[in-house]
Amino acid sequence: MSTYIIRRLLYTIPIVFGVLLLTFVLFTLVGGDISVEIAGKGATQETIDEIREEYGLNKPLFLSWDSQFVNHFKNALTFNFGRARDREPVIDKIKRGLGPSLALTVPMFFGVVIISVSLALVVAFVRGTVWDIVAVVICVAGMSIPYLSFILFGQYFLAYKWGLFPVFFSPDLTTAQYVALPVLIGIAAGLGRNLRFFRTVMLDEMRNDYVRTAFAKGLTTRRVLFKHVLKNAMIPIITRVVLAIPFLFLGSLLLERFFGIPGLGYLMVEAIGSRDYFVISAMTYISAILFVVFNLITDICYSLVDPRISLE
Amino acid sequence: MKFVRITSAAAPHQLKVHYRTRLPVRLALLVTTIGAALIIAGCDGSGPIEEPNEMVLHHVLSAKIKGLDPGNMRDVYSVIVASQMFEPLYQYHFLKRPYELVPLLAEDMPQISDDLLTYTIKIKKGVYFQDDRCFGSRPAGSVPDSKGRELKAEDFVFSLKRIANIKYLSQNWSIFDNKIAGLDEFREYTKTCKSEMDVDYSRQVQGLTAPDDYKLVIKLKKPWPQLCMALSDTATAPVAKEAVDYYGRDIISHPVGTGPFRLNVWRRGSYIELVRNPAFRGELYPSEGELGDAEAGYLDDAGKPIPFADRVVWTVIEERQPAWLLFLQGKVDATVIPKDNFDEVMGGAGELTPAMKQRNIHLKTFKDPSTYWLGFNMAEPVFNKNKPLRSAISCAIDREKFIELFFNNRHLIAHGLIPPVMPSYNPEIKEKGYAKYDPEKAQELLKEAEKIHGGKLPTLKITLPGTNTWYRQYGQLLKRNLSDVGLEVETEYIDRPTYLEKVNTKSVQMFTSGSSASTPDAQDFLAMFYSRYHAPGPNKFNYSNSEFDELYEKAQAMLDGPEKRRLYRKMELIVLEDCPAAFLNHRVAYVLHHDWYKNYKPHAFAYGLSKYRRIDMAKRAEYKELLKTIK
Repeated sequence: MSTYIIRRLLYTIPIVFGVLLLTFVLFTLVGGDISVEIAGKGATQETIDEIREEYGLNKPLFLSWDSQFVNHFKNALTFNFGRARDREPVIDKIKRGLGPSLALTVPMFFGVVIISVSLALVVAFVRGTVWDIVAVVICVAGMSIPYLSFILFGQYFLAYKWGLFPVFFSPDLTTAQYVALPVLIGIAAGLGRNLRFFRTVMLDEMRNDYVRTAFAKGLTTRRVLFKHVLKNAMIPIITRVVLAIPFLFLGSLLLERFFGIPGLGYLMVEAIGSRDYFVISAMTYISAILFVVFNLITDICYSLVDPRISLE
Repeated sequence: MKFVRITSAAAPHQLKVHYRTRLPVRLALLVTTIGAALIIAGCDGSGPIEEPNEMVLHHVLSAKIKGLDPGNMRDVYSVIVASQMFEPLYQYHFLKRPYELVPLLAEDMPQISDDLLTYTIKIKKGVYFQDDRCFGSRPAGSVPDSKGRELKAEDFVFSLKRIANIKYLSQNWSIFDNKIAGLDEFREYTKTCKSEMDVDYSRQVQGLTAPDDYKLVIKLKKPWPQLCMALSDTATAPVAKEAVDYYGRDIISHPVGTGPFRLNVWRRGSYIELVRNPAFRGELYPSEGELGDAEAGYLDDAGKPIPFADRVVWTVIEERQPAWLLFLQGKVDATVIPKDNFDEVMGGAGELTPAMKQRNIHLKTFKDPSTYWLGFNMAEPVFNKNKPLRSAISCAIDREKFIELFFNNRHLIAHGLIPPVMPSYNPEIKEKGYAKYDPEKAQELLKEAEKIHGGKLPTLKITLPGTNTWYRQYGQLLKRNLSDVGLEVETEYIDRPTYLEKVNTKSVQMFTSGSSASTPDAQDFLAMFYSRYHAPGPNKFNYSNSEFDELYEKAQAMLDGPEKRRLYRKMELIVLEDCPAAFLNHRVAYVLHHDWYKNYKPHAFAYGLSKYRRIDMAKRAEYKELLKTIK
């Protein structure tokens, strides 16, 4: 297994290089020069030139040891992300946004996974009944309603009309108080899609012969569902669940924006809007690394839950 | 949860399900709860809680602020917050209209030499910077901070030199470019320095001197009558050198000013809180205003010491719905009317709806000093010598429809370039130019334009600085208006940096843009048509007219007065006749506020107004009771 892990870790080098190259090309060749915008209204050419020098935008793009791309590559490898356009260190922005983002996405993630897997087991178990049909209809409806509608509805009725939650972030609230409603909305909005997927996975397993055999042998429903069905359904569940973890780091743009949670989703979108290449580059790079790492973890988990899989 | 034992060979889906709590579910719930609790506990969620008798102003910012260093900020949101902490030499009178400059950190208005080149400004005594650790040797985080020192004339000299420092990359340099004797040379010198911090600020600048601690002398290269207006800009507020040296580049988040408030909490991107500055010297609420101010209650607090509020809070809310709901809940004192809620707020005849009146909500409207246009790049051959084409395009745009569709009929049609709120606004401008929607006239002008062009006009392109729905709808309307009169037009939606690059390199044909004045002098608007300021300068139209240039140069050296205003109006008429742009609209702000929010008189040019605001605590408490009955 260790050989496999080392090999997979070595694969990260071309992947990370590709990500860095892609972000660089997108934001320098396609995106254009940001120095005029940084300089502000009525700026003189010499100010614009000075900004180009300060940010290294006057250096050659590729063909030099001191080129913009080589510097971009070196900075990324040393996790030296520099300062954002507002002169605040990028790493400070990321550190500050990480807590609020995770406070929102982690409970949401666990909530969605646990509720949808549990309900999927139940729904798969009662498949073909009216409860199954009701669940599928609700899932499809949940998937069809735009995410924004969940937010607008939840904020207006649950927070404003019925006063069950705060409408927006306020510093006199605890984190639990101000993330409660967004987490609830996130779970409600994500449930349909996940429940439908896990139901399909469970149904595939329930149709297997070993389930009938287990029931014929007189095993309890609990034992059949959790010991056998759930365990055999773990491969697609792990793939979906573990690969979703890196995205927790990116936060949730809409929820963060509507509820005033100063997380990383908000940061990323704002950086894209204001063409803060330094923030975008750092976030993309960190996301790429997390994605590669969690991909590897997924593979390791496969071999842990299914002895038939060996990592070679 | 509980599942019953299967007692028959029936298929699983035919079995009845019951629930009983089971270990794996309990374990999963436990793990989830602990995980969530750990994450939540790891975040600092607690913050200041409002004391019952504490007067707190609750505001909303619709965008994040970028920094709190006055020398290098231009975005309006940063200026709004920083202006409560930093004070320039002059300020606009809070109540008087037309707008009038009055001393703030200056003892009096400046003494101006006969040749209009030397300004001698006396600085108030007894003004102190807020207490801060940068003034002493106390370790970081110690309480209390070191005592702030007294403001001296040398602080203004330092602050202006700092803006000139090219390594500082100040966005405010254009204010002083080629104005003060010796300052441009100082800027040249800073080019030789390695970094911002290496600059020697003790280097003399001929036009910026402090003969003593309370006297500042500014010598100009040529007359610049707008200097006092420039010295009322927050950008020119004094910054202590100790703070710059101590905090370095992190000074953006460590404001050290002389104003009535000081920074208490700044959660970047979400929340800013200022508290009273104990070192503030004190100031009195104005005792004079314009006609009607007494009746409107703006003089109720005349002569009282300010600021009234103990704390000023801004919550950053970029989405309209939460800001609106917080306003209705009484958690925000004032707000703009969201476009989607306009009908809920405004009834007929420009009045508030009964639902708003029931909540004792008040409406304030004021004309914003702004103008928006569709500009023509006069460097483009198709436009350069074809005035009928430019005029035809201007006549073809249905401005009324545009304002109705995009601004709920709130804006005003722009017949000229100078906004109505400016003293040099020409009330007869409606009769001039080509801003009247007249498609028939446009078609006639186009026939003439085709003759000048020598055949059928090519497809024209409008460049817009955005790719979102709003810009696409805007572009669609312009395109339809122009195609209605027979012009073939295509639209180009691009991001702002690319737009700026294209406009600055004269690579656009038509472009949408706008500008808002920072002073009551219309010079900024007129500078956009001065031929020596072609792109990348302010004249993005690349328009030239020698008569206009002559008048502009003459007016530049004149003090404000009827003659100067006459010249401004004459210049405006020249521009309207040449039609380098189709002027579209002037913004009119509609603001709602609760009846407890006192002294809320809109001001077009001043930002440091929180010191005047007062909360009627009893009325705010009443609103909470009222809400119970409304709900």
